[in-house]
This record gives sequence, C-alpha cells and structure tokens, in this order.
Amino acid sequence: MAAVEALRRRSVPLLLLAAASVICIAVSVSTGSVAISVGELWAVISGGGEPLHRTLILELRLPRSLAAFATGGLLAVAGALMQVLLRNPLADPYVLGLSGGAAVAALLCMLAGMPPAIVSIAAFAGALGSAVLVFGLAHGRGSWTTTRLLLTGVVVSSGWGAVITFMLAVGPTEQLPGMLYWLMGDLAYARSPWPALIILALTSLILLPLGRSLNVLARGPMQAAALGVAVRPLEWSIYGSASLLTASAVTTAGSIGFVGLVVPHMLRLVLGNDQRLILPAAALTGGALLVLADTLARTIIAPEQLPAGVITALLGVPTFLYLLYRSR
Amino acid sequence: MVALYRFLLLILLTLPAQAERCVVDDINHTVCLPKPAERIIALSPGATELLFAAGAGSKVIAAVTFSDFPEAAKALPRIGSYNRFDMEAIVAAQPDLIIAWKEGNPREQVAQLRDLGLPVYHGDQRDFQDIASTIKRLGVLAGTEQEANAEANRFLEGIEHFRQKYEDAAPVRAFYQVWVNPLMTANKNHFIGHALTLCGGENIFGELPRLTPRIGVEAVLAADPEVIIAGGMAEDDPGWLDAWRPFSNLTAVQRDNLFFVPPSTLQRPSPRLLDGIELLCRNLETARGRR
Repeated sequence: MAAVEALRRRSVPLLLLAAASVICIAVSVSTGSVAISVGELWAVISGGGEPLHRTLILELRLPRSLAAFATGGLLAVAGALMQVLLRNPLADPYVLGLSGGAAVAALLCMLAGMPPAIVSIAAFAGALGSAVLVFGLAHGRGSWTTTRLLLTGVVVSSGWGAVITFMLAVGPTEQLPGMLYWLMGDLAYARSPWPALIILALTSLILLPLGRSLNVLARGPMQAAALGVAVRPLEWSIYGSASLLTASAVTTAGSIGFVGLVVPHMLRLVLGNDQRLILPAAALTGGALLVLADTLARTIIAPEQLPAGVITALLGVPTFLYLLYRSR
Repeated sequence: MVALYRFLLLILLTLPAQAERCVVDDINHTVCLPKPAERIIALSPGATELLFAAGAGSKVIAAVTFSDFPEAAKALPRIGSYNRFDMEAIVAAQPDLIIAWKEGNPREQVAQLRDLGLPVYHGDQRDFQDIASTIKRLGVLAGTEQEANAEANRFLEGIEHFRQKYEDAAPVRAFYQVWVNPLMTANKNHFIGHALTLCGGENIFGELPRLTPRIGVEAVLAADPEVIIAGGMAEDDPGWLDAWRPFSNLTAVQRDNLFFVPPSTLQRPSPRLLDGIELLCRNLETARGRR
C-alpha cells in the first residue's frame, strides 16, 4: 500500500512536467518568423497543409525543438548526477572540464574550415577526452576522493579556457561570430535530434533502478558503504554516464550553460531530494526550459537570432533566486 | 625690378604651401605632412588596398594580417592584426604616415599613436564616393596625385556605367549569405547592400538595423528570395548553396538561381568592388532571364 502511495506521489509531478513539456514543444513549433495558426499546425500534423508550412514545421522547427528538449534534458540529468557524485551544490555538467575539451576540439575544426558534421564529432571526442584526462589525473596513484576529482576538473577547465581565449585571439575575423555562438550554446547548429533523444531515453531507463543507491550515496560514501552499496563501481558509472550525457549535449548545441547547474537545484527545492523523482523530473524540466529558451532566442528580435544560452540564464536566474529566497 | 621682387616673393610664399600637403580625414581631422609620405603603415587590409590603388603601394612599409591584395601586399612586413597591433613595432618602423580604420582599430591604440606625434589619417568609407575621395586624399599625402586621381575616376566611371546599365532593370529580390554558421547577411549600408542596389537587386534584409545581422533560415523561407548569393568560404565548400536545395518551395531553388560571388571583391572598400559588382550584376541578369 505504501509503495503504491509513494509511486503515486512521484508520478503526479512527473505527469504534470510531461504535459508542460509537450505544451512547450507545441508552442515552439507554432511560433516563428512565419505565423502559423493552430488549425494550420493541425493540418500539417495530420499530413496536409501548405508546402511552406510543412517545410517550416517538419524540417526546421520540430527537429530543432526536439534537439533543444534532448539537450536540456541531458544537461539537467548530467548536472543532477554530478551534484550527487561530488556532493557539491556548485557542481554542474561542465565542472570537470567537459565543455572546455569539447570547445577546444570544435573550435580547432572550425578554424580548419571543417564541415559541421566533423565539428560535432570533434566536440564529442573532445568532451570524452577531457573526461578521461580528468579521471586519470584525479585517480593518480593515491586515493580517489571527490575533492581531488573536483579540483582536477576545475584546473583542467581553466586550462581549456586559456586555450579557447588564445584561439579566439588569433582566429580570423570572419570565423569569430561562428566560434562565439558555438561557445554561448546555440541550437542553430543542431542537426538530427535523434542521437541525443535516444541517449537521454536510454540513460534515464538505466538510471531508474539505481535511484535508491543514488539516494544513499548522496548522504556520503561511508553511509552508502555501510548500507551495502558498492560505492566505487557506482561512482564510476555515475561519472561515465554523466560524461556521456554532457558530451552528447555539447555535440548537439555547443556549451549551453546554466541548465545543468540550476534545474536540479530548482527541482530539489520544490520536490525534495529523492533521486528516483529528481532524475526523470530533471530530464523533463531541463528539456522544457531549453525548448522555451530557444523559442524566445529565435523570435524575440526576429528575423535576427540570439544564442539560446543567453536566454536560459535570463529565464533561470530570477526563477532560481525566487525559489531560493522562498525556501529560507 | 618691382616685377622681379614680386616674382621672388610669390615663390617664397608658394614654396612652403607646395611642400606642406594637407587633407581632411574621415573624422574631420586635418592631416598635414611637410613632404610626401615615404614610410606608410596601413592598419587594415582595406587601407593597404586603397594605398596601392592610389599609386602609393611602394611607400607602404608595413601592413596588418590578411592584407592579401594586391600580390605585392602579401610580402609586406606585418605589425599585427587590425584589432591588435604591435605598438613598439609601429614606432620602431618610424612611419611618416599611418592609415587607421575608424570602425575596426582599437581607438585607444590609435589615439596613443597620435599622442606620440605620428601623423594618423582616419579612414571610414561607407559608399562608393568615399572610396574615390579616399584614394584621391591618399594620393595627395603620398604625392601620387596623378595615379590616384586617375584610379579614383576610373572607379567612379565604372560605378556610373553599372548605374546607367541597371537603372531601369526589373528589380530582383535577392538574399546575400555572408556566413553559414551562424547564418548571416548584410544590410543596405554594407558595400554588399550598395552593390545589390546598383545591380537592380532588392536586398530582402536591407532594412535590418545591424550591418551584418544574424538571421534564421525561417526568415529566408518566409521572404522567398528569387536569388541566393553566397560569399564567405562557399567557393571551397559548395555545401553552402546546396544546403538550400532541399527547400524546394524557394523560388531561388526552383529556378536554380544559387550563385557564388567571392567575398573579397564585395566586402572591402577598394576599386576591386567593380569586379564583384560585375559578377553580381551578371548573376542577377541571369536570374531575370530565367523568369
């Protein structure tokens, strides 16, 4: 009976968030430079409609919205995992230098004039490369503590930051806008949304049964070990999956900030700290937030476009501060 | 006897006037040189081209990166890039004239060069007339008035030729793609915009406030241009234009009006604009023929 009650307690917020996500995607698909009414939207969905509307919705807006949803979800889940792993409220998906590694590889490819597909692959390789580097350095010969991991990550990030600044300083002028937009995070680079969506769905499924162990780990490795959790393998799989999630997100849309740091915190303030609820809720909320931010980014000053990363922060900062203030 | 004195006096009066050469630059500063400049530093690729156009190419002693036209400019020593230059190298080169770029050069650095007593000419060319008048003024400062005036007039005549030829041509709605990622275009105040107007083109993003605005694909589809012209690196990467082909609703795609114009001939203020304009006009003419 209690189990059913707990399940219901978790499923109500999740259903609400899922509904909100669908609404966000619908709003995103029906807004843009060309006005499309609900009726016309329905015509396109049911397989008819004007050719221009079909192109706009099916080839431009929908893939982009789904890519935004997947990216936001990936980042929020990765952020939640990192905060559990490092037991540090300031941890976000990029704290271990993944965005820096991805950015250095991606910008190098842009400087060399590579096509966008190669830039994406390079970003993925750069992110995972940085994760392996940080993991190896933090592992070292001595003990593997989260403090050591965090410190290594922060220092490696600063190193990447310096390399990025150097590349921006010597890069040719006409390349600069492209490089800056990539660094700010921008969905215009998103190609097919499917890889990111599939990775998000798969990781969510894999993490679901781990929720209880994650809850225990969040209290500290000692308690977790005492309660029979195999701490080391769990920590390594969190590290690995968070890196994979972040790498996929960075590959899809560049380094979008803020979502990964703040969405898990927001949810904890509202829903409590149960990872079985927080992780799927983070996937939905992060996704919806980024869909909303991207829709605003491409419509506020249309036809001119803003990078979505700017809007995520502008939307998220006041919301988060309000929740934090209210929770005192 | 009186006539002779008068003649000598006249010579004495005119001598300094002849030696002292003054022009007013684009920020209304008067730049005066005691004698024709012999050691000129150009702080932008455009300034380098204009100096060569004014017949003063042999007097340029240093330039910034990407100064790649004409061929001789590539061999010039570099003193940095247009937005970060090596002050020590500039001062050590002992120039007697520096050509700065009002919009592109860091103001503090240029002001510092002026404070050091170096003669600085500030250039800011916004239309075809500015280019011609800059060439003439550079000619005065470098003592190459004859070549400069000839080149400036050749340029203006070229522009006039296109103006007359396409004045009454049917307007063509055109989209000029400056860059692909992010998608960028140029407004009517850019030289690309001026060139489009000259050829009887109608820039679909001409009225946007920024010089090179960043836009969305959707806005292009909504405006449905008759012609799409790509600059940037489209020459090496045909994907720039091919990326539009899947949008079969676009008039430009249906009529195969997807063209490439090398950006170097349309983006810098120099007489080379004539080459870019000729190609651009020919492309728009092709588009008119496909109606």
